[in-house]
Amino acid sequence: MSVFNSLSNRWTSFLLLCLAVCSLITPAVMVKHENFKTCAQSGFCNRNRAYADNALSTSKWAAPYSLDPASVRFDKGVLTGTISKKTTTNEIVRLPLTVAFYESGTARVTLDEEKRQKGDIELRHASKAKKQRYNEAEQWAIVGGTTISTGAATSKDAEKGTTKIVYGPASKFEAVIRHVPFGVEFKRDGETQIKLNDRGLLNMEHWRPKVDKPAPEKKEGDDEKKEGEEAMAAGSDKEMAEDESTWWDESFGGNTDSKPRGPESVALDIEFPGYEHVYGVAEHAGPLSLKETRGGDGKYSEPYRLYNSDVFEYEMDSPMTLYGAIPFMQAHKKDSTVGVFWLNAAETWVDITKATTSANPLSFGIGSSVTTQTHWISEAGLLDVFIFLGPKPQDVIGAYTELTGYTQLPQQFAIAYHQCRWNYVTDEDVRDVDRKFDKYKIPYDVIWLDIEYTEGKKYFTWDPMTFPDPLGMNKQLDEHERKLVAIIDPHIKNEGNYPIVEELKSKDLAVHNKDDTIYEGWCWPGSSYWIDCFSPKGREWWKGLFRYDKFKGTMKNVFIWNDMNEPSVFNGPETTMPKDNLHHDHWEHRDLHNINGMTLVNATYDALLARDKVEDKHHVRPFVLTRSFYSGSQRLGAMWTGDNQAAWPHLEASIPMLLSMGVSGFPFAGADVGGFFGNPSKELLTRWYQAGAFYPFFRGHAHIDTRRREPYLAGEPYTEIITQALRLRYALLPAWYTAFHEASVSGAPIIRPNYYVHPGDEKGFGIDDQFYLGSYGLLAKPVTKEGQEGQDIYLADKEKYYDYFDFWTYEGPGTVNVAAPLDTIPFLMQGGHIIPRRDRPRRSSGLMRYDPFTLVVVLGNSGDAEGTLYLDDGESFDFQDGGYLHRRFSYASSTSTLMSEDLAASTGKKTKEYLKQMEKVRVEKVIIVGAPAAWKGKGEVELSEEQGGKSSAARKVALDWHDKEEGKAAWAVVRDPGVQIGSGWKIAFP
Amino acid sequence: MKVAKFYKDAASFTCISNPSLSFPVSRLNDDYCDCPDGSDEPGTSACAHLSPLSPHTPADGAGAAGSNTTLALPGFYCKNKGHIPTYVPFTSVNDGICDYEVCCDGSEEWEGVGGVKCEDRCQSIGKEWRKQDEARQKSLGNAGKKRKELVAEAGRLRKQVEDRIQSLGTEMEGSEIKVKQLEQEVAEVERKEKGKVVRGNVPKKAGKLGVLVGLAKQRTEELRETLERVRGERDSSTSRLQELEGILSTFKEEYNPNFNDEGVKRAVRAWEDYAARDKGPEPEAAHDRDLDAITGSDKDNGLDWEEYEGDDESESETDKVYAFESYLPPSLRGWVDQKLRDLRVTLVDSGILADTTAGSSSGGESKAVTDAKNRLTAAEKEVEKHRKSLNEHQDDLAKDFGPDDVFRALKDQCVSTDAGEYTYEVCFLSKTTQKPKKGGGHTNMGNFVRLERIVVDDELPPNGKGLGSGERIAMKHENGQHCWNGPNRSTMVVLACSESNEVWKIVEEEKCVYRMEVGTPAVCEVLGASAAGVEGKKAGGVRDEL
Repeated sequence: MSVFNSLSNRWTSFLLLCLAVCSLITPAVMVKHENFKTCAQSGFCNRNRAYADNALSTSKWAAPYSLDPASVRFDKGVLTGTISKKTTTNEIVRLPLTVAFYESGTARVTLDEEKRQKGDIELRHASKAKKQRYNEAEQWAIVGGTTISTGAATSKDAEKGTTKIVYGPASKFEAVIRHVPFGVEFKRDGETQIKLNDRGLLNMEHWRPKVDKPAPEKKEGDDEKKEGEEAMAAGSDKEMAEDESTWWDESFGGNTDSKPRGPESVALDIEFPGYEHVYGVAEHAGPLSLKETRGGDGKYSEPYRLYNSDVFEYEMDSPMTLYGAIPFMQAHKKDSTVGVFWLNAAETWVDITKATTSANPLSFGIGSSVTTQTHWISEAGLLDVFIFLGPKPQDVIGAYTELTGYTQLPQQFAIAYHQCRWNYVTDEDVRDVDRKFDKYKIPYDVIWLDIEYTEGKKYFTWDPMTFPDPLGMNKQLDEHERKLVAIIDPHIKNEGNYPIVEELKSKDLAVHNKDDTIYEGWCWPGSSYWIDCFSPKGREWWKGLFRYDKFKGTMKNVFIWNDMNEPSVFNGPETTMPKDNLHHDHWEHRDLHNINGMTLVNATYDALLARDKVEDKHHVRPFVLTRSFYSGSQRLGAMWTGDNQAAWPHLEASIPMLLSMGVSGFPFAGADVGGFFGNPSKELLTRWYQAGAFYPFFRGHAHIDTRRREPYLAGEPYTEIITQALRLRYALLPAWYTAFHEASVSGAPIIRPNYYVHPGDEKGFGIDDQFYLGSYGLLAKPVTKEGQEGQDIYLADKEKYYDYFDFWTYEGPGTVNVAAPLDTIPFLMQGGHIIPRRDRPRRSSGLMRYDPFTLVVVLGNSGDAEGTLYLDDGESFDFQDGGYLHRRFSYASSTSTLMSEDLAASTGKKTKEYLKQMEKVRVEKVIIVGAPAAWKGKGEVELSEEQGGKSSAARKVALDWHDKEEGKAAWAVVRDPGVQIGSGWKIAFP
Repeated sequence: MKVAKFYKDAASFTCISNPSLSFPVSRLNDDYCDCPDGSDEPGTSACAHLSPLSPHTPADGAGAAGSNTTLALPGFYCKNKGHIPTYVPFTSVNDGICDYEVCCDGSEEWEGVGGVKCEDRCQSIGKEWRKQDEARQKSLGNAGKKRKELVAEAGRLRKQVEDRIQSLGTEMEGSEIKVKQLEQEVAEVERKEKGKVVRGNVPKKAGKLGVLVGLAKQRTEELRETLERVRGERDSSTSRLQELEGILSTFKEEYNPNFNDEGVKRAVRAWEDYAARDKGPEPEAAHDRDLDAITGSDKDNGLDWEEYEGDDESESETDKVYAFESYLPPSLRGWVDQKLRDLRVTLVDSGILADTTAGSSSGGESKAVTDAKNRLTAAEKEVEKHRKSLNEHQDDLAKDFGPDDVFRALKDQCVSTDAGEYTYEVCFLSKTTQKPKKGGGHTNMGNFVRLERIVVDDELPPNGKGLGSGERIAMKHENGQHCWNGPNRSTMVVLACSESNEVWKIVEEEKCVYRMEVGTPAVCEVLGASAAGVEGKKAGGVRDEL
C-alpha cells in the first residue's frame, strides 16, 4: 500500500476501483495466504520458536536434557541410553535414546518418550488414537542401508563427560556425544561437520494430563495484554511460563483440532559449522540454496514449512509449503558436503539462520566463515535424524538414497514427451490429437486424461457420453507404441450405485474421523471418502481395482496419475484432512500426514504390477505420476511441481525447483510446460518447451479454462522451433535413459546443479539457473525471460565448451555469452565427454528401438573423452535378468583410439536374448568435435570389432575432417563405422 | 516430378539438388545419409532428420546446409500394386510399424526391424477402397444432383426477389408521384389558410372544452399517481437488485476456487456471464429528473388548470379584431378586411410576420391543412416503406450466398447432431446453438456474419464424410453468448460436399471457440472440382517410379 500513500485519496480510491474491476475481469492470480498457517498460527511452531528465542536470548541458558552416563550401552554398532528431561516443574521425563551406526557410514539418532512408548498415558475426549509417538515412518521411507556397522567402536580417548564413537569408512568419522546437556558432534577427519543441540533447542514435549484450571480471574478486556506481560515478565525471570494456549486444541479457519494427546512436538537445532550453503527440504518455490528464515533484507521471515498441501496458485520465492515433503538437507562448502535426514511425517518447520564467525584474532591465516544453523520443528512423532558426512555431494545423496531407495528405472516412454490437458474431452478428441501430432511430424509418447473422462468424477469409470470407446482409443495409441495416462485420485465419490464406494464403505477401508467413523469430505466429486492406503487391506483392495477386467477400458498401454493425494480436501483445514482423523491402526492423521500421498502411489504402483502376470513377457514397469510425495516416493514414479502459471517467473522458478528435487533423491521431476493456469504467449510457450526438453519429466499441461496449445497449434515459426526442441529431447533419449539408469543405481541427480558437478568451485554454489545433464558434460541454460536473445553461462572449470548446435568454442573458467534468439537453446558440450544420440526422428520413442546410434566425441583440453550408454528394452523387468547392455566409450589421445568396453555388472538369463535382439543396431556415425588438425587429409580410420569373443579383421572406413572456422571447432565424422552398439570395438584414428 | 532418371547411372550417383556431389552407387540406399538433400536414401530413413523440424549441427551429414535443408524427395515411394501408389514420410520407414493406411503393400518395412513383417494387403485394401470410392462417387453424383436442385431453388428464390424489386420499383414510383401531388395540395391549402387571420375552427364552445379540461386533469392525476407507484416499485426492485448483485460479487470474490463445488462453480459462472452481459442503458439521472418533473405538480410544470377552467370571459385577440371591424360600415369593412388579409399574406411571405398557421401545435392548425398533411405523411410513409423494402431486397440480392447463390436455398434451415451431453445445431446463415440433452437453456454459439474460404488439410475418412484437403467454404459465426472466463462464443462451420445436410463433427478448439464440420450438397460443385483434384492426385498424380 505504500505506493498509494503519496497519491491523493481520490486517486487511491480510483485505483482501488480499477483493481476491484480488474479482479472481476480476470480471476485474481494469487495464493490465498489466509488459507495456510504461518508459524505464529501453528501452535507447536510458535511454541518452539519462542523456546528458541528464549534460549538464545540468554547466555545462561541450560538445555534441560541430559544423558545419564550410567545408562549408556554400546553394543554391535548401536549405542543406547536414557536422556532425562527436567521439566519446568522439576519432574524428570525419561527419553530412550538410540544412536545407530550403519555400514554405509550413516549415523542415526533416535529419541522416544518412555511414557508414551509404553502407552502409559491417558487420551482426552475418549479418543481412540494410538498412544505412541509415530514410529512407522521408516516402514514407508526406509528400504535399505541400515546394515549395522561392524567397525564402529567406542573410543577410549573421549573427553570427560562425553562418549565417543569412531565409525565410517576407514574409521574416519566420529560421533562425540556430550552428556550434559545432551548434544552430539559429528566429525570427519577430526573436523566437526555437524552439531546436534549445540544451541540447546532440543525440545520433546512430554505427555502431561490436562489440568483444568479455575476460570481466569482476570478482568475482561485486558486479559490478552496482561497475559502477554506476564509471559514477558516470567521470561525475563528465566523460568519462562509455557504458552499453553495451543496445547489442548487449536482452531484455524473455522476448523478445530482436538489434540487428544496434548502437546507432543519434537525439535532440535542442527548446526553446520563453516558451511554457508544448505540445499534441500523440498518442495518449495524458491532458490536452490536455501535462504535464512528469521527476517532481514532479502530473507524470509517464515520457516520453510513441510506440510503437504494443495496450494492454489502458489507464489514464487517463498518458504510456504507445497505438495510434497522431503526432510533431507545437505550443507555444502568448498570440497565438502554433509547432510541430515529428519525422518518425521508430521507437519514440520525448518528455521535457517547463518552466522558469520569472524576470524579468530589469535589464529593466523584463517578468515571468517559462515556457519549455517537450522532448527527443525515437528508437531509429533519420534525425533529421528540421520547424519551423512560426505564428503562429496554424491556420497551424501547416495547414502540418503541408499536408505530411502533409488528412483525407479522408468520405462523409456516415461522420459519422452507427454501431452496433457485438462481435458481432452472425448475419445475422438484424443484420437484427433494423436493424428495431428503425426501429421505435423511432432514426436510424442503419452497422452493424458484429467478428471473429466470419468462419469461424474467416479474413478474407474468412463463417461459413456464422451468416452464411449476407450479401448478403441487405446488401441489407436498403441499402434504407434503410445500410451495413455488416466487420473485416479484418492477421494471416492459418495454416491449410490457406485460399486467402488460401496465396497470401500462395506469393507471399512476409508480414513476415519476423530470419532472413528468414516470421514466424509468434499473434493472434485462433491461428498467423498478417502481410501486409507496405510491399511494393508485397503492397499490390497486398491490393487484389485486396476485389473483390466475391473477398470474396463484400460489395457497394457494405460498408466496412472495420482493427483490430490496430499490429500486435498476442499472443505478441510488448510485444504487437507483434519489432523485428528484416524488412519489404520488408529494413528492420527497428524502423525503421518506427509507420508499419506506416498502410500497411495505405493498402492497404485503395486496395482499396476499386479494387473499383469509376472511371467508375462510384457510384464512392464509401472508408471505413476504423483503430486504429493515424501522421502522414498522416488522409488515409485515421477512427480511434477503442481499447478504453476503461464508466466515467465514460473518458467524461471521451475529450474531451481527441479534441481532441488534432483539433489533430494527424487530426480524424476517436471513442471507443467506452458504453465497450468492462464494462456502463455507464443514466445513463452516456445521457451518453455525449450526448457521442458531438459526436465527429467517432460509434460505439457493446461487448465480447462485455457486455450488449446498443442505444439502444432502455435503456428510458424513457433511450431517448428518447438518441434526442434522435442526432437532434440528424442535424439538425446539414449543419454537421458543412461542418466536415469545412473539415478536408479546411485541416486544421482539427472539434471545437476553447478555445486554437484564442481564441488570445489565456491563461485558456483549459489547457481541454480543452469545445469548439467547426467554425466555427459552437457550444460544447458534455457532462456526464461521474455525477449531475451542472449544468455550468460557460467563455466566453472578450465575446460573447453562447445556450442551444441554450431560447435562455437568457449573456454572456461568464467562467464560467457551465448546468443539465444528464439530458435536457439543455450546448450554447451563440455570437453572430455562422449554423448550417445539417435538422430532419426520417429513418431514415438518406442519406434526408435532399432535405430542406429550417433556418438559425439567432445575433445577438450586433455584430448581424452569418455561416456557411457545404458540400454534395455525400455519397458520390461528383463534388465534385472541381465537383459540390457551397458557400454563405456572412451577416446584416448595418447593412442588416438576410440573404443567400446562392456560395463555390464554381470550377465543373466536374458542377456543373450537381448544382445541378439540388438545385434543389428549399429553405430552409424561418430562425430568428433574439436578434432585434431593432424587428421587433415587422412581420409580413413581403421576399425576392428569383437565377434564371438574374437577380434575381426580390421577394416577401413571413411573419415571426413573439417577445419575450424571463425570461432567454431574443427570436427570430423567417421562415416558409418557400422559397429554393433552392444559389442566391443575399437576405432584407430590416424 | 521425374526423379527416376537420377537413379539410372550404374556406377555413380549425383545428389539431385547438389549436382557437385557424386558418390559411388554403393552408397545409394545404404542407410547412411550422404546427400544434403537426402536423395541418396530414397528407400531408408537415414536422411529423415534433414528437416527444419530437427535440431541441426554442422555434422549432420548435410554439410553446411543446416536447417534450411529440404528433402529432394517427398517420401518413401510405395508402389501399392493393386491400389494407389503413394509416398510415406521417411520418418516412418523401417520403424517396425506397418503403415497400411498409406503403404498397403508394406514395402516401407522392408528391413523387418524387430521381426516385423508387413504383408502386402493392397488387394483387399484396394478392393475395399474401390468399393468405398464407388459409393463415394455415387454419393458425390447424388450430391451433385441435389446441389443442382438447390441452385435451381436458389434461382427461383432469387427471381422472386428480383421480381419483387421490380414491382416495388413501380409501386414506389406511383407513391412518389402521389407524394408530389399531396405536397402541392398541402402548399395550396396552407396558402389559402395563411390568408385567414381568424381560423374558422376556433372552438367556440367553452363548455365542451371545459369538460375536456376536467377530464384531462383527472386523467393526468391518475397517470401521475400510477407513475409514482410504479417508480416506487422500480426503485425498490433496483435496490434489491443492487443488494443481490453486491452479494453475488462478494460471493464471487470470496468463494474458495479450490473448493470446487460444481454448484458454486456454476453459480459463479452464471454470475460472470450475467455481469459481462450488456445490462441495457444505465439508469440516467436525466430520466429521473424528468420523472421528478413529471410527477411534480402541474402548476410547477407551467400548466395551470385554473387558467383553462372558468376563464371563458376573457377576450381573445381575434375577438378584438372582429370587434374593431364591427365599427366600420359593411362595404368598408369588406375592403379593409381584404386589404388586411393581403397585407398579412405579404408580411408573412416576406418573413416579417410570424406564420401562425405553421408550427407543430396541430390544435392550432386548420383542419384542411391537417388533413392534407396527414395525407402527405401517409404517402411519404408508404414511399419510405417501399424504399426500405426495396433496399432490403436489393441488399439481399447483393449479399454473398456463395457460388451460384446456392445458400439462398438453405437459409435458416437447421441440422443438428448429438455430441456428449449436448445437441449442436447449425442453422444456415443464421446461428449455431448448443442445447443440453438433459434440458435447460440453449446457448447461442454465434450468429452468422459471413461466408469465408479457408484451407483445410484433413485425411478424408473412407466414407468420405470429412473435409479432406483444399479450400473450403466456411460460415463464420460470432458474438454468441459470453463465456465464463473467456470470450463470446464463436463457431466456424466448415462445409464440405455431402449428399445431405449433416453435422459430422463438433469440437471446442479453444475455450468457447467451436469448429463444426458440416456436410452439405450446397458446396458440392465447388468442391467437386477440387475433390476431383484430390482423387485425381491419389489416382494418377504419383507416376514417378523409382
